[in-house]
Amino acid sequence: MSHRIISLLLGVGIVMSLLLMAGRFGGARVPANQQGYEPVQPIAYSHRLHAGELQIDCQYCHVAASTSRHAGIPSGSICMNCHKQVKATFGVVRQEDEAATAEKRPRRDVVSPELRKLFTDLGLDPSKDLKDQQVTQTVAWTRVHRLPDYVYFDHRAHVNAGVSCQTCHGPVETMERMRQHASLSMGWCVNCHRDATKNGINGKRVNASIDCSVCHY
Amino acid sequence: MKHPNPNHWRGLEEWEDPTSVREQAETEFIDTPLRIGAEPGRRDFLKATGFLVAASSFTACSRPPEEKALPPVVQLEGDVPGKSYRYATVCGACPSACGIVAKVRDGRPIKLEGNPAHPLTHGGLCATGQASILSLYDSHRAQLPRAAGKESSWDEADARIAEALAAARQGSGAVRVLSPTITSPTLLRQIAAFVGGFANGKHIVADPVSASAILDAHERTHGVRRLPHYQFGKAEVVASFDADFLGSWIATTEFTRGYTESRLADQAPRKAAWHTQVEARYTVSGGKADERVKVAPWEVAAALEHLVAKLASLGGKAFVPGSTAPAAEAMAALDRLAQRLWNARGKSLVLYGANEIAGQQLANFANELLGNYGSTLDLSLPSLQRQGSDRDLAQLLGEIAEGKVAALFVLGMNPVADLPLNEAARKALERIPMLVSLAPREDETAAIAKLHCPDSDPIESWGDAEPVAGLVSVQQPLIQQIGKARSAIESFAKWAGKPASAYELVQTHWRESIYPRFAAAVPFETFWHKALHDGFAEVKPNLAAAGAFSTTAIAPLEKKAAATAMLQLYVKPGMLDGALAYNPWLQELPDPVTKATWDNYASISPAKAKELGVKNGDIVRVGVGETTRELPALVQAGQHDALVAVALGYGRKISARFQDFGPKWIDHRATTGANGLVGINAAPFLAFEANTVSYLRPGVTISATGKRQALAVTQTHHTLSVPENLDPGGPPRPIVQEVYLSEPEKFPATDPEDVPELWPPDHPYPGHRWGMAIDLDACTGCSACVVACQIENNVPVVGKDEVMRKREMHWIRIDRYYSGDVENPSAAHQPMLCQHCENAPCETVCPVLATVHSSEGLSQQVYNRCIGTRYCANNCPYKVRRFNWFNYPREDKLANLLLNPDVTVRSRGVMEKCSFCIQRIQEAKIGAKQEGRELKDGDVVTACQQSCPANAIVFGDMNNPESKVSKWVKNPRRYRVLEEINVRPSVHYLKIVKRSGEKPGEEHHG
Repeated sequence: MSHRIISLLLGVGIVMSLLLMAGRFGGARVPANQQGYEPVQPIAYSHRLHAGELQIDCQYCHVAASTSRHAGIPSGSICMNCHKQVKATFGVVRQEDEAATAEKRPRRDVVSPELRKLFTDLGLDPSKDLKDQQVTQTVAWTRVHRLPDYVYFDHRAHVNAGVSCQTCHGPVETMERMRQHASLSMGWCVNCHRDATKNGINGKRVNASIDCSVCHY
Repeated sequence: MKHPNPNHWRGLEEWEDPTSVREQAETEFIDTPLRIGAEPGRRDFLKATGFLVAASSFTACSRPPEEKALPPVVQLEGDVPGKSYRYATVCGACPSACGIVAKVRDGRPIKLEGNPAHPLTHGGLCATGQASILSLYDSHRAQLPRAAGKESSWDEADARIAEALAAARQGSGAVRVLSPTITSPTLLRQIAAFVGGFANGKHIVADPVSASAILDAHERTHGVRRLPHYQFGKAEVVASFDADFLGSWIATTEFTRGYTESRLADQAPRKAAWHTQVEARYTVSGGKADERVKVAPWEVAAALEHLVAKLASLGGKAFVPGSTAPAAEAMAALDRLAQRLWNARGKSLVLYGANEIAGQQLANFANELLGNYGSTLDLSLPSLQRQGSDRDLAQLLGEIAEGKVAALFVLGMNPVADLPLNEAARKALERIPMLVSLAPREDETAAIAKLHCPDSDPIESWGDAEPVAGLVSVQQPLIQQIGKARSAIESFAKWAGKPASAYELVQTHWRESIYPRFAAAVPFETFWHKALHDGFAEVKPNLAAAGAFSTTAIAPLEKKAAATAMLQLYVKPGMLDGALAYNPWLQELPDPVTKATWDNYASISPAKAKELGVKNGDIVRVGVGETTRELPALVQAGQHDALVAVALGYGRKISARFQDFGPKWIDHRATTGANGLVGINAAPFLAFEANTVSYLRPGVTISATGKRQALAVTQTHHTLSVPENLDPGGPPRPIVQEVYLSEPEKFPATDPEDVPELWPPDHPYPGHRWGMAIDLDACTGCSACVVACQIENNVPVVGKDEVMRKREMHWIRIDRYYSGDVENPSAAHQPMLCQHCENAPCETVCPVLATVHSSEGLSQQVYNRCIGTRYCANNCPYKVRRFNWFNYPREDKLANLLLNPDVTVRSRGVMEKCSFCIQRIQEAKIGAKQEGRELKDGDVVTACQQSCPANAIVFGDMNNPESKVSKWVKNPRRYRVLEEINVRPSVHYLKIVKRSGEKPGEEHHG
């Protein structure tokens, strides 16, 4: 008798929890799908400004994209190649220039609040001349794109085959804050591999394997 | 006569009762952590269901945690994140000082490999060398000086030493540095400068595993105290008297390479290679020998002497042996051996393993009679890999006992554990006013030292080496120092009052003393950078010529009464002298001969075991004189009845860390023994005899105690024989195959490619088709590949208890089979790894498609799909699949830095196996693509192939007819294991070449 009650309760429980879980999957998304993830970064770095407006090549900062598995997040020293000179937006600097001329006083050094954060994070003192200082720390960015541990993605293979950065990362040059553009799910990868083998990349024939061991080892 | 036993057998268990192993095979996969026999009940069902619901709802809720991404502070030019770089340096695991290449990824050295360009080892690296990288990331390593057990600072330690040295200068106390062989010229110079600063200062060199007698014998016969550089590559006939040159004797990696090279059987005309091993213990070399002459332990020297007499008479000289002749059978073998050696004059080698001067002189005499000096033994460019002097050591111990030593600096040695010190000697050592240990971790000597000033690891400090006169190498740091240990070079410079950095000291020494020996006229910087880049440089030796052979020292051996039983102390390949006893990889590495892990034991012959009534794991009491020790027995086929053999290097304080090793669960049994350590220290059995340390002790007593300590022996694990219930009384499988040199010049080919096929040929391999070939004739069983694979593929160590449950995780194992006479068998070693079958039986049974075939012929294992049914392991005829029963220990954050970032760390409940180093295949393929070229043969080198000192493994693309593996596969010696089940493995084996005897008739096989 009691057996039957327990089985019944258990059955109801299982059905209920499955229903609850189904509700959670509302958008038909697998639990780990992070598509659209757009975390707030410690510094409001703008890809729109750098890659879009200023047209800096992706690989100027992400140096290893064509030579290594990881594209690499640029070290502070790469930022400082430009930002030793550039400490605020053009508008703010011109404003200060005009104000200085109007008030007949020497031009003051203006540092934008976000760049001040960058300099402090890199262990630099923005009140002193940046040209004489060495980067001693690094910025703790929040990671946007993350594949599970059992997936091995190699930037090299894709960049050298002619896959554009935007194919996976989306219109980065329009993003004020970095956002995960694609689902980065296995189906998404495999579809692209199939398509590339069939149609080639930019007219070039490629063999994009769909063997498991291409990514999983 | 039809023999009931198989031609090859895995262990004595199988010889005595072939069905026992096959019965065991039936239940191999029924072993579960759940209690066997209990039907899953209602409660189990409820528990499982509840767990499932809870677990799935939890995973459904969670988002991956927020993760930080920290870029490097400064992007160095030429240092790309995620790329591996390789730097040449020197292996610091033993005085062989092999040339190695360290793989550095993101600033962390993660693997050591042999340097393919190195003139001695040509790319091989032994298990010990491979495993030694762990010492860099050892969180138990001493990080700061300690004074009387309390942490101190370098300033304080240096001040105390300066004080003690000043006191020694005032009085007449002796200052001594005790070390094993040091091959670093810079360190030798620093020590010499340091001890030179005292009226009574001396550097004592003594090896824990001594070859002192060889050097002493050459001093008497050639006037120079040197170790000849043995050239196995030039030796066609090798006669070894208990010298285990393939296992643990001097420079095994180099010797293995030369040995296999001189024995290649496929060349035409065939080389007349021959190897006779005369011994009482069963060694790696003995198992590999073409003829193994089993003699009583006291007869080894006598056999050598009688060989010398035979060679002398062949050479028309008179020599009357003083010892009693060994048994007639052995004498007949010696007759044949003498003739073979004589026919190969100048191309042969006579080796003697015992540390005993009179015998070594006879070996020298034999080599002299054969004209081997100058050809297979080089005394003008001698080996510097053993320089120890037991006489100096004895003298030092005398001085210590008399209280004459004011300061003793111990470097690279652990005298308290390595040497036979009695209570008085130990007290005397403690009484030394300033005993300083430079041990990298707190060992027995450091514990009683006044000061412990840890030496840094070879991978994090500058140094150099000259393993063979004229061949110099630079040891470069590959990572910024972890912790605050200080390199011995810097320490001695500091204590000599001339502090400098190790880099400066090494470079200065090279500029002043090594560069002038370089022949070519290039600036120093060019020379230095080339040596640094290549890993070695060849310069002129700075040694006087050796004298001519002097026969005056040659005397017949004294006639000794035959002993009743003897104890032999030896070192295991891998573990060696025990300095690396902290290393779990080496502890769990099965011994090439006994296949035992995690222990040392008293090895006895089957007859002796029967007499004592003991079996494997029964504790016996072994005694010599006053010294007795209790340790488990291990029954070893082929060993002489009058011998008890015990390995040194165990029972070390640094192995206390394994107390709680292994997964924690209800049935867990400890990895360490009753003493809280792994094994028993056998060093107290050693003794000084005529100023040499004797490893062979007469008058041993052995008795059963009735206690038990089970041994973790992998001998019968993963058997390839048919389970008894499937084929009762069926014939044994031809797993190991042999060809005989007596067969026609061209070995008969066996190529049953055209067998009926159930599967449609729907697996084209359009691009690459990966395959491997393993030459069983070359393989010595040294197990370097096992450790190489373990490091490359993040394979966990599981602990003794789990090994006893057959759950060792090694992806490549070496199956050792005996064949021939059970009293004196020969050994065959068969590396067994995933065979990547074309018709893989594992792939068809996976319910979730977690193991599938790739278009390049790989049997892929997809961890994230695997749900752990273990059907695949059950269906694998080669038993190469390994199941993660637990989340194996990965708590040590420092040791985790060593994990290969290119290979997933598998979690509990997942099946794994050899992947043919898929990460290396991918790396090579993408690398070639990046360079815009096709992949060429040799681009992909698997970890096992890379490490093999014998060059026994090749890997490559079988679609490329020019690849090395394609050529090996065309070799008539080729066969595939279990060809008859037609799973079409991608791993091919080359049959063993039997150089003695005729091919036995079919009845011997059956």
